[in-house]
Amino acid sequence: MVALIRSAPISRTIVFFSLLFVCACKSSSPTANERVFRVNLGTEPPSLDWSLATDHVSFNVIANLMVGLTEFDKNLKPAPVIAKSWEIRDGGRQILFHLRDDVAWSDGKKVRAQDFEYSWKRLLNPKTASEYAYSLFDIVNAEEFHQGKITDESAVGVTATDDTTLEVRLKHPTSYFVAITTFEITYPQRQDVIEKFGTKWTEPENIVTNGPFLLTSWKHENEIRLKANPNFFLGTPAIENVEMFMVNEMTTALAMYEQGQVDFIDNHSIPALEKPRLAKAPGFKRVPQLRGEYYGFAVDRKPFNDPRVRKAFAMAIDRSVLPTLLRGGQLPASSWIPPGMLAHNPKIGLLYNPPEARRLLREAGYPDGKGFPSVTLIYNTLEDHKIVAEAVQGMWKRNLGVLVRLENQEWKVFLKRLLNDPPPIFRSGWGADYPDPDNFIKLFSSYSPQNYSRWRNSRYDRLLEQAARELNEQKRVRLYNEAQRLLCEEDVPIVPLFTTAESTVLNPRYSGLEYNSMGRLVLRDVRLKTATGAN
Amino acid sequence: MLRFLLRRTLYGLVVLWVVATLTFVLLRVLPGGPFDSERRLPPEVMVNIESKYHLNEPLPKQYSRYLTALLKADLGPSFKFIDRDVKDIIADTFPVSALLGVLALSFALAVSLPLGLLAATFRNRWIDRACVFLATLGISLPNFVLGALLIWIFSLKLGWLQAARWGQPSSAVLPMITLGAMPCAQLTYLLRSSLLETLNEDFIRTARAKGLREPVVLFKHAVRNSLIPVLTLLGPLFAIVVAGSFVVEFVFAIPGMGRFFITAVTDRDYPLIMGVTVVYTAILVCANLMVDILYSVVDPRMRAH
Repeated sequence: MVALIRSAPISRTIVFFSLLFVCACKSSSPTANERVFRVNLGTEPPSLDWSLATDHVSFNVIANLMVGLTEFDKNLKPAPVIAKSWEIRDGGRQILFHLRDDVAWSDGKKVRAQDFEYSWKRLLNPKTASEYAYSLFDIVNAEEFHQGKITDESAVGVTATDDTTLEVRLKHPTSYFVAITTFEITYPQRQDVIEKFGTKWTEPENIVTNGPFLLTSWKHENEIRLKANPNFFLGTPAIENVEMFMVNEMTTALAMYEQGQVDFIDNHSIPALEKPRLAKAPGFKRVPQLRGEYYGFAVDRKPFNDPRVRKAFAMAIDRSVLPTLLRGGQLPASSWIPPGMLAHNPKIGLLYNPPEARRLLREAGYPDGKGFPSVTLIYNTLEDHKIVAEAVQGMWKRNLGVLVRLENQEWKVFLKRLLNDPPPIFRSGWGADYPDPDNFIKLFSSYSPQNYSRWRNSRYDRLLEQAARELNEQKRVRLYNEAQRLLCEEDVPIVPLFTTAESTVLNPRYSGLEYNSMGRLVLRDVRLKTATGAN
Repeated sequence: MLRFLLRRTLYGLVVLWVVATLTFVLLRVLPGGPFDSERRLPPEVMVNIESKYHLNEPLPKQYSRYLTALLKADLGPSFKFIDRDVKDIIADTFPVSALLGVLALSFALAVSLPLGLLAATFRNRWIDRACVFLATLGISLPNFVLGALLIWIFSLKLGWLQAARWGQPSSAVLPMITLGAMPCAQLTYLLRSSLLETLNEDFIRTARAKGLREPVVLFKHAVRNSLIPVLTLLGPLFAIVVAGSFVVEFVFAIPGMGRFFITAVTDRDYPLIMGVTVVYTAILVCANLMVDILYSVVDPRMRAH
């Protein structure tokens, strides 16, 4: 070792390591005068292929690279984008989307209805093995094609009748189908590009997109760079360049924001303890999300096979305490469909009522909790879940005299447990894929894979089916109200706790950033506030 | 020497096979699958996914498929990072981890060698105590605390260095110190105690009695003989720091391989876990082999064996 050190001059060693370092870094930061907007994604997007992506990090990048038939407006209703209009025919069994003819891909070719047909059939193709394939199962023969029961693609009910018309044939009237077209998985794709580059088609040198930004570089695990699309049909974005970082550690990401290295941070970059301080910072905003958290009961076993016990447990929870503990702007919820969504109804659900809860428990045979069997509440390991579980455990002890044991499990172990042997009480949550109540309420139908409580109610199933086929909005709301009463007041297989909110901080020099209730980061209207810096 | 190298290489291959097999078995025993999520998939969708990744095949067939691919250096596609091969992921991230590891180990050696030397030379004096104090601090301070502390001081308070990310040469300074602190402390302790032991040996007394100057005694005779235990520790230390550190990469947002030792397990990304484990084992085996070779450089007696 000594000999080795002696034989290598120090200067040569330094030069070697410097060169090695420069090669490994292979990047340089942009100069300060470039108009670059920087955000923290938190992690590496697992995929930029919108037929295969399943997580919000990937969708946050995709949402800035692509547009689809529709997007949801401020009222969470589908609004035209590439589809300039649509016609619902045959009592809701057929939808004709009429496309604009001035939308171009980044290589100059026109976006055509055939690109949608290809993309949707690729999503359904069993070889693609897309996790979201089931989202299009309302289309004629879609499920059969995915299952391999039919192999003829042309039998699937989506057809481009010409370059600007997309015809969709549905198995039954589907009131929420247009809302599904706001979801990134339905964005068009270029068959020639995918066939040419195979699995590498999403790399910057290969990808072809049609949205406000173009993908210029993707350094895996490190950063993604976008630049404004000068040919975007809705107008070139004001910001010229975007850098998306993958800083996982919250305190580090916050330090970067405070050092001016990042212009926008959200929940992934703000530790819970820092939220009250940042709430006073300029540019801070809380955005309610279409995401609900609930506790579920295993209704097929004692003691929670008795609705009175479930109601007692629901009425013993004071939900108003939870946002104070979590400090993240959560909204207490007694019903399941979240605020902002059609059919949200805060009047539905069991409110905090300890005397009534004790009466119900007494009626069920457990006066003051006496004789109540030992039960466990299981949640996946996360600090926020622990805080909520401990608070609720205290409320049940205080209001019902029942001591519920708490247990936390690693995420995948927890999921396996929910699937194979649901615990007496468990924590779960759900975030909307598309802004329609159907996406939320059908979680607890008899046929839903997410129905961990194993609650079966044929009336509930019927109501959901009727609502899904009902095209009249008012009638739909009435049907969903009835279903929610069954879920949250009568049978109570679950207790909704709260809906979540995203804490965001935008550098006060910028405006126009839209962080919507689906958790999507939309950058196309971001601009510098100052007149000199404005684009 | 050649026979020795061949024998050790063969042992190394056996170790690799055992580790690869154990990892394969343990992952299958672990509850939860790669495609379990809050949004549980309908059975027909799951069937297609399992078929795509051959997870519907019997375990022996999966194992033989895995070993055959491994022999061709094919680590398969990642389950989490769709459309990316594990080989590509490791090729992207390992050089970053390796560079940071080499920098951290160089830093550790550059600091620990003088500290250990000073501590042993000035035994029980304030210099020795100061060196021991620093070494104790390096061992007892967890690297996530040290990393956060360095960010707070040098980025937020002084504004000298950026808080995180890999890009400019200066961005390597804080992670290098954080990753190098623990090896530095261990090496300082080891060198100090080894040197103290050597300085009490008869041949040192003889050298001094012959009238050799103290620096010659120290550097020519004592230090060289004290390096054997340091070299023994350097092998595994090299493997550990070069393969990447989850905490340091996490805290400083470094696009290295270390994070996958944890995240790939929580994601149940079987090919990625097996890939990084095999690579780590290969590094460990090679590092130990290098140490064995270096022994013979430092101590000529070993060459005879």
